[in-house]
Amino acid sequence: MTAIQESAQRDIEANPYRPWPARITSITDLTDKEKLFELRLIDEDVREAFQFESGQFVELSIFGVGEAPVSISSAPSKQGFIELCIREAGDVTGAMHRKKCGDVVGLRGPYGRGFPFTEMKGHDVLLVAGGLGIAPLKSLINHIHDDRHEFGKVTILYGAKSPAEVLFRYQFDMWQHRDDFDLILTVDQPDETWTGETGLVTRLFDKIDVDPANTYGAICGPPVMYKYVIEEMRKKDMDVDRIYVSFERRMKCGVGKCGHCGVGHQYTCVDGPVFNYWEAMNLQGAI
Amino acid sequence: MFFRVIDKARLPDLVKGLATEYEVIAPIAKGEQFVYAAVTDPADMRLDYDTTLLPPKRFFFPSEETLMRFRVADNEVLDDEVYAAPRVLFGLHPCDINALLLMDNVFSGKYEDPYYLRRREQTLLIGISCTPSETCFCNVWDTNEVHWGFDVFLTDLGDRYFASCRTVKGAEILDRFVENRQVTDQDTTDFQSVVHGFKNSFKRVADTTQLPVLLDAKFDSPIWDEFGDRCLSCGACSMVCPTCYCFDVEDRLEPDQKSGVRVRTWDSCQFKEFAAVAHGQNFRESRASRVKYRYYHKQWGYLSKFERVLCVGCGRCARACPAGITPENVIAALQTGEVR
Repeated sequence: MTAIQESAQRDIEANPYRPWPARITSITDLTDKEKLFELRLIDEDVREAFQFESGQFVELSIFGVGEAPVSISSAPSKQGFIELCIREAGDVTGAMHRKKCGDVVGLRGPYGRGFPFTEMKGHDVLLVAGGLGIAPLKSLINHIHDDRHEFGKVTILYGAKSPAEVLFRYQFDMWQHRDDFDLILTVDQPDETWTGETGLVTRLFDKIDVDPANTYGAICGPPVMYKYVIEEMRKKDMDVDRIYVSFERRMKCGVGKCGHCGVGHQYTCVDGPVFNYWEAMNLQGAI
Repeated sequence: MFFRVIDKARLPDLVKGLATEYEVIAPIAKGEQFVYAAVTDPADMRLDYDTTLLPPKRFFFPSEETLMRFRVADNEVLDDEVYAAPRVLFGLHPCDINALLLMDNVFSGKYEDPYYLRRREQTLLIGISCTPSETCFCNVWDTNEVHWGFDVFLTDLGDRYFASCRTVKGAEILDRFVENRQVTDQDTTDFQSVVHGFKNSFKRVADTTQLPVLLDAKFDSPIWDEFGDRCLSCGACSMVCPTCYCFDVEDRLEPDQKSGVRVRTWDSCQFKEFAAVAHGQNFRESRASRVKYRYYHKQWGYLSKFERVLCVGCGRCARACPAGITPENVIAALQTGEVR
């Protein structure tokens, strides 16, 4: 860390509840409910100090409305900007959806424990996303993409309700032709234009080969999905401590104080949101 | 530690002296019960109190406090200073001091909570020995003794106090404000006899053997449904608990909608929406799951991080619960499988 970063770090640490102004630099409509926001922290030193890993989240802060935890969708290798994929679901996300490019909101973070990127290097990676669960996994996918030569086989299974709800379709379309990413998309409710797979994401496991001794798994999706996807990974003999899951809970403060995100004996915000399956099995009520 | 003896009749001098420089908070009578409140006249203090309605946590972590003032237009923080005046909490029992030590763990660490910690720095703690009441079970957690976290601790020896000074500040205020003398062998002998008598006077016992294991092994036990059926989700247990620290945060706008304050308030894991996320999913929808979570966190979640249980046996929740759910009967139910 540079001296400037250290001084910014001290400012940030002086009050962990203080959000830092960030400008919305780009807004992309993804679906009817989700938009992708690109943000840039305005203070240069705070921006420099903001170093994150895939799987971590921020507290998005809109004064007058409140705060909401949002996972980071961009890769740590993209410096200076962060991307948040936001579904309009509550007060804060609703207010965010009404923001325009150039507007200023607040950010705190990054928080939590992300995916073990360094540990995953040198191995195959199997990523499974359901619905909005693709948001944190996209950070990991992009990060792997940027260091592609350091990984073995990379397989992405992504399920959405309908073709209209497939997120980041432009990115996946761009990758469909690549032979170093095995990408399979599936939807529950296809329309006449859909050429991909249909049905639940678990059905895609018949179509892939997994080398269990050499594969890391990463899962993110709606709560109901985890159990079934983990079952499929276990059927492929993947190790319990190499299957990683990311949980969504009510991370209100983000810093392990407010208590809202408690899961089992842990707090999602500081102990997670990424846990391996062995840890998750030991969290009562988690899956 | 450094020890002094104070004649009981001289204690008001200490309070009067402190009051010239600090706001003095001490237990006073409120109807049949007791509360911590600001005192100016030492005669108002009731150092013979059993327990207070609310624990002293509110002097560090108020039930409602402004975290920051903000401006809406550019999402800027206008003021996030912590305003903490010098204060003395006088007459805390060992359980309540131990509770603050448990709270310290939560509000410090990697992310320091400036609001709590600034007040903590600005506050002197003067403890006092007690007599166990009907609902006290601090003996179960060994929180009937306290060895740090206070400035001065006064053990009542009848006609005098045996004063243990933990901090420089504590020793200093004794020397400045009250006549005191060196400890004699007789004082130490009397001290030993008093603390032994205290230790042997507890009536409550609870079998806490392997509680963390039982909480996991009996996670799906029907005892939780029985407690859930009785619980009213009122959250009184959390409000009166000296170690419950969960909070909610909300923004309140000024009438002109241009600026406002971000406020934090006490919250409770017993409230229905506590673990609900934005798009409808509620991870602890049933009352049974919420009652269970409170005990699970206190006896295992916190323990897994800080090697202590998050309970000091003050008995306030047992007194406050309108449904008669007490730590004692929850622990007994975990051991025996039967709800009393």
